[in-house]
Amino acid sequence: MLTSVFIAAVSLALFWMAAFTLWWQMHAWRTPEVLASTRFSSPDGDEHVSFSLLLPARHEQAVLDHTIQRLLESSHTGFEIIVIVGHDDPETTAVAEQAAARDPRVRVVVDRHEKKNKPKAMNTALPHCRGDVVGVFDAEDQVHPELLAHVDHAFRTTGADVVQGGVQLINFHSSWYSLRNCLEYFFWFRSRLHLHAQKGFIPLGGNTVFVRTNVLRDADGWDPDCLAEDCDLGVRLSSIGKKVVVAYDSDMVTREETPGSLMSLLKQRTRWNQGFLQVYRKKDWKQLPTLGQRLLARYTLMTPFMQAFTGLIIPLNVAIALFLDVPVGIAFITFLPAVTALVTFVFEIVGLHDFGKQYGLRVRFAHYLKLVVGGPFYQVLLAGAAVRAVWREQRGRNDWELTSHVGAHLDETAMSRQDVPVTREDVPA
Amino acid sequence: MTSTLPAVTTAKAPAQRRPVPGTGAHRRVEPPSRLRSSRTDLILCGVLLVAILVVQGWNIGDYPALSDDEGTYLAQAWSVQQGNGLAHYTYWYDHPPLGWIQIAVLTWIPALISPESMTVGTMRAAMLVISGISAVLVYVLGRRLALPRWAAALGMVFFGLSPLAVILQREIFLDNLAVMWTLLAFTLAASPSRHLWHHFGAGIAAATAVLTKETMLVVLPALFLTMWRHSHRDTRKFALTGAVTACVLIGFSYPLFALLKGELLPGAGHVSLWDGVKYQMTRPGSGFILDEGSGSWGVLQSWLYYDKVLPIGGLAGALLLLVTWRWSVTARALAGPALAVAIFAALALRPNGYLPAMYVIQALPFLALVLAGGTASVAHAVLSRWRSEAEKRYVGVSRYALAAVLALAAGAYVVPRWYDGARTAVTTDANAPYKAASKWLATEVEDPERTRVLVDDALWLDLVHQGYRPGLGVIWFYKADLDPAVTKTMPRGWKDLDYVVASPTVRRDAADLPNVKAAMEHSDPVATFGTGEDRIEIRQIQTSAGGAR
Repeated sequence: MLTSVFIAAVSLALFWMAAFTLWWQMHAWRTPEVLASTRFSSPDGDEHVSFSLLLPARHEQAVLDHTIQRLLESSHTGFEIIVIVGHDDPETTAVAEQAAARDPRVRVVVDRHEKKNKPKAMNTALPHCRGDVVGVFDAEDQVHPELLAHVDHAFRTTGADVVQGGVQLINFHSSWYSLRNCLEYFFWFRSRLHLHAQKGFIPLGGNTVFVRTNVLRDADGWDPDCLAEDCDLGVRLSSIGKKVVVAYDSDMVTREETPGSLMSLLKQRTRWNQGFLQVYRKKDWKQLPTLGQRLLARYTLMTPFMQAFTGLIIPLNVAIALFLDVPVGIAFITFLPAVTALVTFVFEIVGLHDFGKQYGLRVRFAHYLKLVVGGPFYQVLLAGAAVRAVWREQRGRNDWELTSHVGAHLDETAMSRQDVPVTREDVPA
Repeated sequence: MTSTLPAVTTAKAPAQRRPVPGTGAHRRVEPPSRLRSSRTDLILCGVLLVAILVVQGWNIGDYPALSDDEGTYLAQAWSVQQGNGLAHYTYWYDHPPLGWIQIAVLTWIPALISPESMTVGTMRAAMLVISGISAVLVYVLGRRLALPRWAAALGMVFFGLSPLAVILQREIFLDNLAVMWTLLAFTLAASPSRHLWHHFGAGIAAATAVLTKETMLVVLPALFLTMWRHSHRDTRKFALTGAVTACVLIGFSYPLFALLKGELLPGAGHVSLWDGVKYQMTRPGSGFILDEGSGSWGVLQSWLYYDKVLPIGGLAGALLLLVTWRWSVTARALAGPALAVAIFAALALRPNGYLPAMYVIQALPFLALVLAGGTASVAHAVLSRWRSEAEKRYVGVSRYALAAVLALAAGAYVVPRWYDGARTAVTTDANAPYKAASKWLATEVEDPERTRVLVDDALWLDLVHQGYRPGLGVIWFYKADLDPAVTKTMPRGWKDLDYVVASPTVRRDAADLPNVKAAMEHSDPVATFGTGEDRIEIRQIQTSAGGAR
């Protein structure tokens, strides 16, 4: 009896979690009108907003110049590019300086922090920004030439304080996990972020994000000690009622690559999860005006852990239903989470098809197969990253407060950040 | 506060385009987006609903005659309420159980307040709820399929007031419940907001319909077509996949249930879903429907006896819509219901299919909608087709005159017939013999608790309330031959029984049931109610000693 009640309770909880996540994940496709509203509206040719585009680069001499050239091809006329390099990184600095010498729109700011990270670098550059709006890109980003014109238009027509553009991993064919990784981004930027924008609580992505300079300065820039400083900024800004607008256009997204190995993906996820936990514990989201928003915030920031829990317990639950002697009714309830998981699977398959169509990529049968077969393994990976994040955060919490100047733990953190320099985009999933 | 960007170009996404080459007008008649706030629609639908409920509810327990199937489902619903599982005898996967589970829920409170009211005649009142919901759904669906207000109302009238509908919808049939869920599925599929979760809900409702009465499977292609037409091309992929997934996953709960009970596949000592399906698939055919003298022909005649307008008019409406597909907006809007009618007609025309009497119930709402749609098409053709600004005044007048003549002629044909049908339904008492037999067995038998009696399913619950032991005391007559758990308790066959209540059903089926047949042969009537074919005899078993056991 007790077993039955326990199993039923766990199953129902799991079911609701999975159902909510699914509901939110499918936000953009709810109605044709919602889908249409997720796109950029066409610019009218007027230009009123000037941009300061931050380009933090670290050991990225190989790709930096190309990224700068791409940005310089932008059709917008009012922008400057501020490349942020480390004082200990002469190769990247050289590339940046050359670009600055060629084009007056490019400037170089040197970050002299002993311990380097992205928020510190961007905070260093913030006082140098002359534009009305600060935009953030990564050194390897491919930016569409029309993007700034669209963002300009979005700022003017919506009165936004923040505009978040789309970021999309593209190399779905590289490996089984890159396929899932790309699809995560697709669902996140194509759909879920819009829901957050609508609900008034949004964790921002790490790049292709544009913030009014004065808003950013009033908020004291980025949190230099947070592992998900982009998420933190979004949470802080939406918590004080700033207007965030999200726009996704498959032509206009910033294209990126997935982490190069499974290990770096795991580390990246650990970092995000830990960052989410930190943001959760900073409690800025508690200022949100409505209970609904606070619940959404609480839930979203806890998502990695819920996801980990769900992924592991669903198979266990089904096994119990099939092999343990429980009443048929209870056994039925234990299947509920699995049903939601199956629905999610099916929508992912359709999402992959849509992804292929929108980006003109050829998705083959084998990819669909990989998507399905890889699903459970990816869940295990996510669960692993979540467990690892909790473990590190628990262990590191004391270190953090006691040794923040000594940096024994930060060293490790910085290491984990540096080992994925080519994929410094922060998208929770 | 934060928000999303406004839509690209227009506030509303463009309506779906239909790429039909070669024809001019492809305007999509926009269905009203908010029926709830349209006072005219509410009043019209409300008035019709009251009329339907009055005609269907008045005299509901007395007409038509109680049927065996009603007794079956209600007794099984009773068993669910009692916590005895899905049936009071072994549940053998004859139909998915969701139908009588719903009946159990529907009749739960009245049965709790007054347990003895749980009899077929009384509980028919519960079917009014279902009829009412279905009738409203027909109206809403009609409106969502872009029918003008008067045509949607006409569809609701066809569906709720045709004498054929009145008689069949009064009865406790699984088909009536399944029709309600199917209508809900269609209504959601035609949701004007084209919401992903409405389509998802349509899938769930469709699965519920199938789990209520499995034959609803055949209408799913028509539902799919409706959804296809009403979804937007940008979100269609997700909407349709979502709906199909929802439907399939919910549908799979039936085999899953069997699996969890260890009854999916045949095996020694238990029933199985497989056997149940096999039984349904191999039921002997009832002949070709147009072959005079076949069983199917008889069933068709019984439908047409009550009403010719809805079945024949509906078929004609479907045909008209099919023929005018290229020119008529209405025809394209009603593609789903027209396809449903076509499927039902095709299945009924199988050369040697099995055609049960309630088969037509599932087709009724679609017949009503296509007949209303056909009428709207004709009205449109008469009143406004090829109309131009320069049209002479006398042409316009003659258009209206023609319309009036057609309407009057149709009314003159339909109204008297339907009036007669309704009058029969609200005045006839067809169940007096049943009630008298039930009363006799309650008062004249000395020790009901120790008495064993064979009855048909319609009377079973009555006797349970009168103190007979459910299952082995009062016995569904065919279980005496077909259920090993029952025959085991009758080692001496008919000699272990006291009475057999010979209703028309029992007399008809006794030929194939040795124990029942023997009980009939070795018994004498002690009371007879009614006359002729419909009479009910209470026959007391005679032992070899010459007297009652």
